[in-house]
Amino acid sequence: MKESLLEIDHLSVRYPAPGGDIAAVNDFSLNLVAGECVGIVGESGAGKSQALLAAMGLLPRHARVAGSIRYGGAPFTRELRGRRVAMIFQDPMTSLTPHLRVGAQIAESLTHHLRLSGAAARARALELLRQVQVTDAERRLDQYPHELSGGMRQRVMIAIALACNPEVLIADEPTTALDVTVQAQILALLAGLKRERGMAVVIVTHDLGVVAGVADRVLVMYGGRLVESGAVADLLTTPRHPYSRALLRSMPRIDDPLDGPLHTIAGQPPSPARLPTGCAFHPRCERASDVCRSRFPALAAGRTDVACHHPVEDA
Amino acid sequence: MLRLAARRLLGLVPTLFVIVTLSFFVIRLAPGGPFDDEQTLPPEIKANLEAAYGLDQPVATQYLRYLQSLSHGDFGPSFKFKDFSVTELIGQGLPLSLTLGLAAVLLALALGVPLGAFAALRQNGALDYSVMAFAVLGVALPGFVIGPLLALVFGLHLRWLPVAGWSPGEWRYLVLPALTLALPVIAYIARLTRGSLLEVLRSNFVRTARAKGLPERIVLWRHAIRPALLPVVSYLGPASAFVMTGSLVVETVFGLPGSGRYLVQGAINRDYTLVMGMIIVYGSLMLVLNLIADLLYGWLDPRVRYE
Repeated sequence: MKESLLEIDHLSVRYPAPGGDIAAVNDFSLNLVAGECVGIVGESGAGKSQALLAAMGLLPRHARVAGSIRYGGAPFTRELRGRRVAMIFQDPMTSLTPHLRVGAQIAESLTHHLRLSGAAARARALELLRQVQVTDAERRLDQYPHELSGGMRQRVMIAIALACNPEVLIADEPTTALDVTVQAQILALLAGLKRERGMAVVIVTHDLGVVAGVADRVLVMYGGRLVESGAVADLLTTPRHPYSRALLRSMPRIDDPLDGPLHTIAGQPPSPARLPTGCAFHPRCERASDVCRSRFPALAAGRTDVACHHPVEDA
Repeated sequence: MLRLAARRLLGLVPTLFVIVTLSFFVIRLAPGGPFDDEQTLPPEIKANLEAAYGLDQPVATQYLRYLQSLSHGDFGPSFKFKDFSVTELIGQGLPLSLTLGLAAVLLALALGVPLGAFAALRQNGALDYSVMAFAVLGVALPGFVIGPLLALVFGLHLRWLPVAGWSPGEWRYLVLPALTLALPVIAYIARLTRGSLLEVLRSNFVRTARAKGLPERIVLWRHAIRPALLPVVSYLGPASAFVMTGSLVVETVFGLPGSGRYLVQGAINRDYTLVMGMIIVYGSLMLVLNLIADLLYGWLDPRVRYE
């Protein structure tokens, strides 16, 4: 058994609102061990980003966060951010401070956490830019973010995240805002860095292809809850939750007939302000019964861990 | 940066030329002339006076002559304050008006920005509500109401400061006028700062800075404050225009011998040269202050720097 790094237990995130609280995340748990790669998938509003931002302590002040977040056995603190646990975000265009030079933005983690001198931090920043394959790295150090392309900016974000050699990297939809060829480059870069450094990685995405490519373990979220989790090989071939199955079916396959229909999931993902009672997926589920409408199923262990009253059994 | 400033400064010359030309003709469109209200003036003497000042010439000729003397830095003689040139008149009052205006703008920045920032950091707290209540009052109350109120409290009751008047070199006489002038600007800047800082603190790059594990103090001062000041800097141009026009009222309320009164008196008297002189001086000031605001903007945000 490898050592546990990040332990998230019974995490919930709520936002007080006039018409009743908005439940963004409900009872989410994750135990991340050294060196593994976990993919978190789900539609927009499923609570993926919210759960991880809450774990990092990065949610706005009015968010009500409950549950326990521990790192290496001790409570998670601000000093761990950027030092042990680093995070990169969805939108590289707006995630860098516009009036600070790229080099300075990488160097400030180094001077803060590792107490490096200005010159040493700059040298290390240059080295980091080269590691994330930024072209013309020396010149980039003194450029401002608006002088770089989106892909370059995401590389700079990754360089910032890697600055202090973190043990955990959380990537929140790191490629969503980038065009397809750049997406592939950034994913290859992340996969390579993970391998070289043995970092644990949590990657949030709604692209199952990404998960299949890099993750060891997958968590599927729906309506703010974890509905299924398991090894990639199991979950992506024979998912047990009807939602996971529908999600997989909605991916076009290369061997599908060309004129065949695209599979979709009928209806809309639920709004966190008005979650259906019981299992949040029941209005869209073909296997739903009365019990699904009244009671949320507990997560039960099995070939994959699944929270469903009527899981799809192995055929 | 210096070369950019010099080039932009040179670019102000055509703008100033347009201001001079427009105001020259607009003043002359107003009915009456400088010597019309002196009822006892016999027609021959009036004609002589007008000939002496060149007012008998066609307007186009007058305009060209005015430009010519202007190019030598000469604003001409005042039509009403006999024996005084416009330069002398403005020169008497301008240093005081400038000091007052500058003091008001600096006061507004020095108080408005911290007030707004504190309000944003304590959003929905007691301090936030007090600052915003003050801001509404400050914006709503005109100078001729605030001025006498301040004079009443600090001058008459508390006797901390003189009620009105002026004695050269005595800063105590400037405190109440500058505060009166600054109050609405303080209020507006506080509101601007609060709103924009709240927005910046929610932005993605501030989240990135927090994700680095930096203390909140560094997040605020290194990452958030500069972008948050952009709207304040944009407002500096209009704010100085407000302060300049406001100083007309405030100088009257507090009996300060500034140059503001010359604009009003000059306009009422149809003292063409005096009004033109004031317009040129105040217009140039406005242009330079707006230029400074532009350059500051470029320093705060590298994306708007011109090559």
